Amino acid sequence: MISHNALLKRTWPVIVQYAEAHRKPRWVPVAKSKIYRIPKRPEITEEERIELLRVNNNYKTQMRAIRRFYHEEMIKEKSTRESSSSEMSQKLEADDWQRCVEINDKWNAQVALEREERRKKELAKMEEYALARMEAKDRELKERIEKASQEIRKQKELSKTFITPENLDAAIDHALANPVDYNFAIDLQGNQYLGRESPAIPPKHKTTPKAV
Amino acid sequence: MPLPPASGTGLYYAKAAKSIRLIRQGCTNRPFFHIAVTHRRRLNSQPVIEQLGSYDPVPNIYNEKLVALNLERIKYWLGKGAHVTTPVAEILGLAGFFPIHPRTYMTAWRNRQAEFERLAKEAEASENAQTSS
Repeated sequence: MISHNALLKRTWPVIVQYAEAHRKPRWVPVAKSKIYRIPKRPEITEEERIELLRVNNNYKTQMRAIRRFYHEEMIKEKSTRESSSSEMSQKLEADDWQRCVEINDKWNAQVALEREERRKKELAKMEEYALARMEAKDRELKERIEKASQEIRKQKELSKTFITPENLDAAIDHALANPVDYNFAIDLQGNQYLGRESPAIPPKHKTTPKAV
Repeated sequence: MPLPPASGTGLYYAKAAKSIRLIRQGCTNRPFFHIAVTHRRRLNSQPVIEQLGSYDPVPNIYNEKLVALNLERIKYWLGKGAHVTTPVAEILGLAGFFPIHPRTYMTAWRNRQAEFERLAKEAEASENAQTSS
């Protein structure tokens, strides 16, 4: 068990799961049912064995050569790195650096030109877009004003027929003098049939007094 | 303290044995491997020295198993004398960086043998069906 102090002073985060976590503890013996079990060995034919041996031998030889090659290369590289402080190599390096700088400057200039062009194009596009938007806004505003003024004109026209405190009495008199009967019949063509045969207010049935 | 990066800490003991191996990084039922160089005696769950590539064993829609290798660094670590585990050696063999691994040959010829046997059995079955009918 890890002590609490060690857990707190750890340098690496604790790795929670190990492969061992899924397995039996070391001190637990072999299961009773598995004591006399002998694992089956892989069956390899003689032919296959010889072939495998040959292939493996070849592989090992080649790998040894490859390993040695990379090891020697590493040593060679190290030695060149150490000896690269000579004047000749420094001059070569400076020349190389100069060439690289020139190429880089050329590329930068080219890229700057392209960038400028692109920016101009983008700016023109943006302006166009903004102008279009402004125009659309103006049009909309104009339409709204037009609509509102139309509404005002209509209301002014209507206001002539409004009932005001001045002509209230006249309106009441007019309404009383001309009662409108909406109880008319209508046919499928929408023709109105005015007039009625029965009175508007049906007469109350007089209850006959009961003979006493 | 943040977790050590899966791409490697860059910290190692100079004289300890190193090994280039597959480190399983996927989740349950979805294997994915990093090819990493680490100390040979370390567990796979511990921080690695450097990641050298990745290997996705699940074929994608084009039926490809994708492998990425940082060959320059692999060369460097081989020069330092790092060991290479069999699965990584197989991958490198198929990549043409190493000679083909013997195990690759073995699986190939065993698969071929199984295929031949299956075909022979099928042919025999069809022949039997013809003669009986």
